[in-house]
Amino acid sequence: MSPRLHVDFVKRLGHMTLQMRFAIDTEILVLFGPSGAGKTQTLQAIAGLSAPDSGSIVLDDTTFFQRVSGKPFVNLPARRRRIGYVFQQYALFPHMSALENVAFPLAGRRDARDRAMQLLERMHLAHLAHRMPHELSGGQQQRVAIARALATEPRVLLFDESFSALDRSIRERLHEEIRTLQAEHHLIVIYVTHNLDDAFAVGHRLAVVRDGRIEQIGRIDDVFTRPASQQVLDILGIPNAICASVVETGPSGAVLDWDGIALEAPPLGAPPGAQVMAYLRPEDIRLIYPDRPLSRMVGNNRLDGVVVERRLGRHVHRLRVALSDGRQIEVVYPASSYATMNLASGERVRLALRKESIVVIAVHPNPPPIEEEPCLDGANRADGCAKSDPALVSPSPS
Amino acid sequence: MNWPAFWLSLRVTAIASIIILVVGLALALLLVRVRFPLKILAETVIMLPLVLPPSVIGYYLLLAFGRGSPLFEWFNLRILFTWQAAVAASVVVGLPLMVQSSRAALANVDPLLENAARTLGASEVRIFWRITLPLARRGILAGMILGSARALGEFGATLMITGNIPGRTQTLPVAIYDAVQAQRYADAHLMVLVMTALAFAGILLARQLEPPIPGRRPEQSAKAPL
Repeated sequence: MSPRLHVDFVKRLGHMTLQMRFAIDTEILVLFGPSGAGKTQTLQAIAGLSAPDSGSIVLDDTTFFQRVSGKPFVNLPARRRRIGYVFQQYALFPHMSALENVAFPLAGRRDARDRAMQLLERMHLAHLAHRMPHELSGGQQQRVAIARALATEPRVLLFDESFSALDRSIRERLHEEIRTLQAEHHLIVIYVTHNLDDAFAVGHRLAVVRDGRIEQIGRIDDVFTRPASQQVLDILGIPNAICASVVETGPSGAVLDWDGIALEAPPLGAPPGAQVMAYLRPEDIRLIYPDRPLSRMVGNNRLDGVVVERRLGRHVHRLRVALSDGRQIEVVYPASSYATMNLASGERVRLALRKESIVVIAVHPNPPPIEEEPCLDGANRADGCAKSDPALVSPSPS
Repeated sequence: MNWPAFWLSLRVTAIASIIILVVGLALALLLVRVRFPLKILAETVIMLPLVLPPSVIGYYLLLAFGRGSPLFEWFNLRILFTWQAAVAASVVVGLPLMVQSSRAALANVDPLLENAARTLGASEVRIFWRITLPLARRGILAGMILGSARALGEFGATLMITGNIPGRTQTLPVAIYDAVQAQRYADAHLMVLVMTALAFAGILLARQLEPPIPGRRPEQSAKAPL
């Protein structure tokens, strides 16, 4: 199948020039990158909310935009593009009920109300049809927004940081929903986020955006295992990237050998001896109270270390902990936790790596030769795979 | 109580209010949506009646509607010393309040909502009627009520261009002035009371309608269970 949406345009913005060039098929493409990289402007250009300086945007055989020398100028207004746009701030019309919001794009159709009701049912919201937006939770509002976007029967669905304000559990359910919808309606989906977990959860392909350009585009695990450049690695900014080998696997979990440290990991489909690339999710690493009985939460993977650095934040604090052999691990914990513990630098701590904290990104059934290692060996960065060097990659403070 | 003056004031205010609503909204839209050169000058001119002495406004209105003016000669508009002149004076002084308030209300409508409506297939006209206007309606109504209250209270310019003809062009504020001049204090008391009550009610209503003072927004209920 050949790509359906071709995007190739240039737009000068105040601080940079946006140069976007990619093609997308019936699939979910994640645009990932720091804020200000031009992701939202790209969506707006596709949706027709802002016009590029030059280039073209073509969906199947419909030209949305064309400003190319020698060809007639085309700029199809947003209302004729039939693109579903789901905004970060939900953008529900506050003076209309959920049902009226969904029926808004159906104006003039005799079955508008029935159709809107069907869409709300599809999003499991039929029982809330007559609520006003402010009476709905964030997750519910976003479901209404999705139902409303679907009402135009779009071929393309755009998500602009749509779930960043929502809890992780709600996000996960919405991600499943998006994948189902995408398959059901054969949609082209572009999903903008700066959250790596979201990118993994929802995307088929990943485009890493930086300074108005796409640094790398490809299947998500490919981008992770073979970052095209140091910039891509920086942007992906994965803390605690590790490479380890599989010791044993079973239905309840796997055991990894991380250069001499045995780690209990979630089950994974890789044979013993395989190399895996993974990262230790810093939010899922727990500190163990020295004076309390161990709880089930901290049952796995206990490691001793010394605090190297503590950075305080409004919501979360970050610790860098050095293990006895010098490897460093980054830990993120809620600002309200561990108030009774002394976590100044130099203090000894015990960490517990919950099984779930070990996120396997890629599996190499046969370890590739060292020179083709996917991990870069930049200073203080992704050396995780090099057997000879046990130093763990830890991110530069950002 | 001078009933003819009371009814005339109501009639003048009602007609002036309708004109203030339509013209004021159009001007507010123009100022919010259209970029044009010397916009700041246009804004200033619209706001001028707020600070000019009533006699100056009256003088300009005499020029505008008097013999030799384009309105008089080309459009054959002869309204000086009729009650319609009181309407004109009321409109001029009430308009700035309407423009100020409805302009803020229109500018306050989140462009994101208008953009969302665009992606949902709505035309610009439909967006205005279904999204922008309903969301700005409180500020627009508040502006209209303030403008109307000001129109009802118009005195100085009205005195200059209507000629103060009892029963024909004498509005309530002018009648109060007359009563005091003639030392008919009982009359004046009652009329003053009526004027105060109307103005009080108007301001109260406008305050109720005005959008809350921007400040801390209530937290998004993102944490609420799905």
